[in-house]
Amino acid sequence: MTAGSVATSTAHPASVAVLDQIAGYERPTKRDEAWRYAPHSQLAQLSFGPPHTPAPPLPGDVEQQIPAIEGPTIVIVNGVFDSVHSKLGDLPTGLVISSLAAAATIEPERLDRHFPPMAHDAFMAANLAFGTDGAVIRVGEGVCLQTPVHIVDILVPGEDHNGSCTGVVIDLGPSSSATVIETRIGGSSADQEVAGGSNVRTTITLAASASLEHIVLQDLPRSLVHLGAVEVTQAEGSEFLGRSFNIGASFGRMAYQVELVGDGARTELSGLFFGRGEQVLDQQITVVHGAKDCVSTQSFRGVLDDQSVGVFNGGIDVRPGADGTDATQSNANLLLSNRAEINTQPRLEILADDVACKHGATVGQLDETALYYMRSRGIPAEEARRLLINAFADQTLEGVGIETIRDWVIQRLGHTDD
Amino acid sequence: MLHVENLTASIGGTPILKGLDLSVGSGEVHAIMGPNGSGKSTFAHALAGREGYEIGGTAVLDGHDLLAMEPEARAAAGLFLGFQYPVEIPGVNNMYFLRTALNSVRKARGEDEVSARDFLAIANEAMALVEMKQDFLHRAVNAGFSGGEKKRNEILQMAVMQPRLAVLDETDSGLDIDALRVIASGVNSLRGPDRSMIVITHYQRLLDYIEPDFVHVLVNGKIVKSGDRTLALHLEVNGYADFVDGKNEVDGHSLSGATT
Repeated sequence: MTAGSVATSTAHPASVAVLDQIAGYERPTKRDEAWRYAPHSQLAQLSFGPPHTPAPPLPGDVEQQIPAIEGPTIVIVNGVFDSVHSKLGDLPTGLVISSLAAAATIEPERLDRHFPPMAHDAFMAANLAFGTDGAVIRVGEGVCLQTPVHIVDILVPGEDHNGSCTGVVIDLGPSSSATVIETRIGGSSADQEVAGGSNVRTTITLAASASLEHIVLQDLPRSLVHLGAVEVTQAEGSEFLGRSFNIGASFGRMAYQVELVGDGARTELSGLFFGRGEQVLDQQITVVHGAKDCVSTQSFRGVLDDQSVGVFNGGIDVRPGADGTDATQSNANLLLSNRAEINTQPRLEILADDVACKHGATVGQLDETALYYMRSRGIPAEEARRLLINAFADQTLEGVGIETIRDWVIQRLGHTDD
Repeated sequence: MLHVENLTASIGGTPILKGLDLSVGSGEVHAIMGPNGSGKSTFAHALAGREGYEIGGTAVLDGHDLLAMEPEARAAAGLFLGFQYPVEIPGVNNMYFLRTALNSVRKARGEDEVSARDFLAIANEAMALVEMKQDFLHRAVNAGFSGGEKKRNEILQMAVMQPRLAVLDETDSGLDIDALRVIASGVNSLRGPDRSMIVITHYQRLLDYIEPDFVHVLVNGKIVKSGDRTLALHLEVNGYADFVDGKNEVDGHSLSGATT
């Protein structure tokens, strides 16, 4: 396997076609509902281009940020598969991992879902055109992976363009199961902070009765931007557990588009966003019920301190004929400062009968009585606050079986030094 | 041990405590009784450091100027308040909460923290005192607890914290007679020459179980009468009517009977 190569020689045909039209895609503005709260002046500083190989060396502190998760690890630096840092020895039978660039050369037709001929917006177009490398994970029929696969996407802003694009493809065969963790971090090789952003698009295809747990840990430095898009297509009886921990970046955006196309598919999306300083953390969710008897839940919690801004834009689309749909959505928020802001909006479009849909949002502050109670027991105010915040955030960790991830999130919540 | 002088407390300009004096000596149990709205709970929270009051006067515990301290520092100085309405804290495990509390106080006093193992021994002993089952420790603090369970949890915390001065605010409210017995026996077993208590109650019933050395009547923000146990019995028969309307104000806020 090579560590990628010049973008155009291996790119998928649709990628090349989008590249030809890239100038025609205008960047989203505040008038686009899905980008309404984004810091557009910051996004305007981002420049994207074809990936450079080889990738730059990793700044020393970046490697320490990688959660130590047991199992195969794919490292991608500035949109280029990094064979030096990846650990792909002794893969279990039924698990195939390759770079996206290699897969595009060998079997481009299997990447058609990842490379559609058109993009929704300029950032997706950039990802299609320049995100020619990344990772492909395929799990064979009936294979149940015992260890998680870890994808680490690292941005080290370059000189000629400061943005990087990565493509991730995850295909699960019928009745297979897997856990995939995507850690998204970054660093700077220069001493001073530089602008930049990572643009990662993940397409997931779950065959009948397949089951995937997919966890995103977004923790880029606060000088950088992260644009994450996860598109999921689910066949009958399949199950998707999507969890996002959207914590880093000046603007951290996690967009999920889940298409339930097979009867009886289930999807469970949950997430935590925790903003400080002037961070903007944006969750854009759409779950499309396109088949009968599918169940979906969206459960997101936001903790917002200082002047940070949280966005939860959660959509449920129930298509005609999707009878027996059971869809719920909730967004609970904790504001730690009177300058923090949460924008929460449900979008429900229901075009079928026999549908159960529920949604709810709450905004609260730390319970002063509980703080006083704890302090009256000798617990210092700062510690009492931390306990209450963790208790609120902890619900998003319920069911996360991997101890390293729990510890990583809890430790990350406790950080007050950045 | 505790000296309170001319303590005043108001909320938004409305005076609630209007010059309260009280001295509690080491090992003594004082009961404070009074009608609704007389300022009993405000007194307890003023000592513990709840925010939102404008406070005047002094309250000194073992030489510590309580009123100048944060609530957590008051706890470290040896004060414990048993809440009338214990607070539910979903998501925070009771055991973790207790251990954090104990170790915070120990740390503030410059003592070594207690290991998980040693803590379990302390907690088990405290649980036996109030007849609690092991699963109690693994539930979230007071979340979904019955009224009786919440009050027992307060006494459990007191047993773990081993305070110098415990202020028990209406610990008997909402309890049936069996729960009252359990709690009273827990409290009684924590009595000792180095520990004082202020038991705040509306009814004399509790004082049948926790026998006070002194009884004070708090009316309209002041202690208007002090005496021994017989004062509580008098109140049981005659109610607070004698002390409302200023009838007995001749005694003012004397501390007759209370020693230091």
